[in-house]
Amino acid sequence: MGWEILKMTVYASTLGITFRSAVPLLYGSLGGCFNQTSGCNNIAYECVMLFGALFGVIGSFYTGNPWIGALCAMGIGILVALIFGMFTIVFHSNSIVVGVALNSGAWAMTTLLMVSLFGSRGSFTDPGIISFSRLNTSLIDKIPYLGSVLGQNVLPVYLAYAMIAVSYIVMFKTPFGLRIRGVGQNEVAAETAGISAVKYRMISLVMMGAFVGLSGCCLSLGGLSMFSENMTAGRGFLCVASMIVGGGNPIKIALVALLFAYSDAMSQILTTLGLNGLLVSTIPYIAVIVVLLISGIKSFKGTADLEG
Amino acid sequence: MSKVMSKIKINDTVRINLFKYGFSLIVTLLLGAVLIIAQGENPATAAAVIFDGAFGSLTKFGNTLRWMAPNLMLGIAAAVAFKAGVSNLGIEGQVAWGGFVAAVLGYSVQLPPLLHVLLCVVAAGISGLLYVLLPAIMRLFFNINEFITTLMLNFIAAILTEYLVDLILSGTVQYSTATSTPNVLDSAIIPIIIPGTSVSASLLIALAVALLLFFVYKYTIVGYELKQVGENLRFAKTGGVKVVKSFLMIFLISGFIAGACGGIEVLGTYRKFNTGFAANMGWDGILVARIAESNPIAVIFVAFVWGALQAGSLQMERVTELNRFTVLCIKMIFVLMVSINYEWLFNTIRYAWIKRRNRKEAMAGGLGNS
Repeated sequence: MGWEILKMTVYASTLGITFRSAVPLLYGSLGGCFNQTSGCNNIAYECVMLFGALFGVIGSFYTGNPWIGALCAMGIGILVALIFGMFTIVFHSNSIVVGVALNSGAWAMTTLLMVSLFGSRGSFTDPGIISFSRLNTSLIDKIPYLGSVLGQNVLPVYLAYAMIAVSYIVMFKTPFGLRIRGVGQNEVAAETAGISAVKYRMISLVMMGAFVGLSGCCLSLGGLSMFSENMTAGRGFLCVASMIVGGGNPIKIALVALLFAYSDAMSQILTTLGLNGLLVSTIPYIAVIVVLLISGIKSFKGTADLEG
Repeated sequence: MSKVMSKIKINDTVRINLFKYGFSLIVTLLLGAVLIIAQGENPATAAAVIFDGAFGSLTKFGNTLRWMAPNLMLGIAAAVAFKAGVSNLGIEGQVAWGGFVAAVLGYSVQLPPLLHVLLCVVAAGISGLLYVLLPAIMRLFFNINEFITTLMLNFIAAILTEYLVDLILSGTVQYSTATSTPNVLDSAIIPIIIPGTSVSASLLIALAVALLLFFVYKYTIVGYELKQVGENLRFAKTGGVKVVKSFLMIFLISGFIAGACGGIEVLGTYRKFNTGFAANMGWDGILVARIAESNPIAVIFVAFVWGALQAGSLQMERVTELNRFTVLCIKMIFVLMVSINYEWLFNTIRYAWIKRRNRKEAMAGGLGNS
């Protein structure tokens, strides 16, 4: 039995599920890391993702094209992100409170919209919702082990992995990334250098809205073709956790997101074998705390600086 | 002179608060009406049904009070933390542990009635307290923001309690579909205080906690110190307050109250631990505390309104075509409107206005000179 479980950790199907289920987390956390780095204490990811999932379904259902669904998801994501920005950046509200309110309200709002548009409670499935179509990856499929892990996926899955490299380059090799980091590290210094903190926070907030919306749409149109009440189920918070543990470095953030996806896959596989996968699914959360603790111990200076 | 100044200052605060709640209420009512009309119902009817559901009869009023108890308790738990700028987002996890511990002690230990309840609630509180200890240590000694650690601990609590329930019920680690512990013994049940309703003595416990904290904040040195570290940390430090100790106490009190709330909910209402019963309870507490500006007495009133809305929304769903989520949306709009920093907004507008007037005067003066 122990050997079976050990073998399962490297099953092609385990890694295949990991490869797919990491995608929403990758879009969410990589899209949001600029906003996080620029100093916004934004936890409204759950809200934006849920809206993205619903509007992806709406767009796809009414036009029959999943890409229009994705555009709708990005649009609503930007809108919700701008509402967050309006309250926190323009009206100086407490960003944690606004985040909590938006997250709690999103469940209610999306369910209301689902009921009034489609007249169904709980979840909405319809043959009219067109998901992204799988790519023909015959070239990858021929590789013995890797083929079944990486092959037969939809285009947004591959784009998410490309995004790791792109966001690393944007963050560390472009003036935009430098300014975002500057605003986050020292707002006053950045303002002195003529960089408007509000402007860069707003730009990064728009990016966050677009990509987190897209990540929600990957949940609802990435194979399932459905929207159900509160379907994000905490994934938005996982994005926040990956960003904080990753500390603004897109590669680290992606690794944490993959860890989340991997333990999710493991607990799914264990459940199909009739074992209780619940304990396994706590691993990523514990890992976040342990990683933060280790990084904290490294910079230990007696008691913390309680000025801020 | 200074007396006059302070009078103006107080008046300003009152005026800003009046404007804040009035303006928020109006905006919320307008948007809420739009939301209800969009679903094809009359806002006035909906409001009447909500009012009836909350106050229409003794049983209905009982429902309002029943929902008020956890909101009040968690509102206080959140208020203690947020008053000092501690973002305890882990209330949900603390409630889950408190509820679980109370349920297990409630059915497995045999004690005389009152003692049994006391043991369960205190044990629930302590489990909540222990659950916030790690984030507190990480914040105070390693400077790791508590909001992410408490958030992660919520997920861990939800999963672990579910796992332990499986373990209790089946005795093995096989996957099971059952979702609750056995019922607690009669001696552990918090009794109903108004016959014919679902109002248990939990409400009295919650009220007692709120009043206790009010007096602690207002009349004791410890309370003054706890308040001071939130309002002006540097002043508190200079004044010789042991900040680390104060912050640690804030964390622990918040966790204890949240855990105890899980205990009284389980013993007073559900009488067993259902997995996932704590979901979203913590967020409500945070929002109640925010609206009440972390003032214990105000929390009582807001929790009452919150309870009435909760009871009314269930009635509304039964009677009209409206979904009970409508009320949740309306609550959120109100929270968002109240969260706006009106004082800052007013000062900014006033500053801009004075600057403009000065410039105008300067220009007029300049013209006069030439």
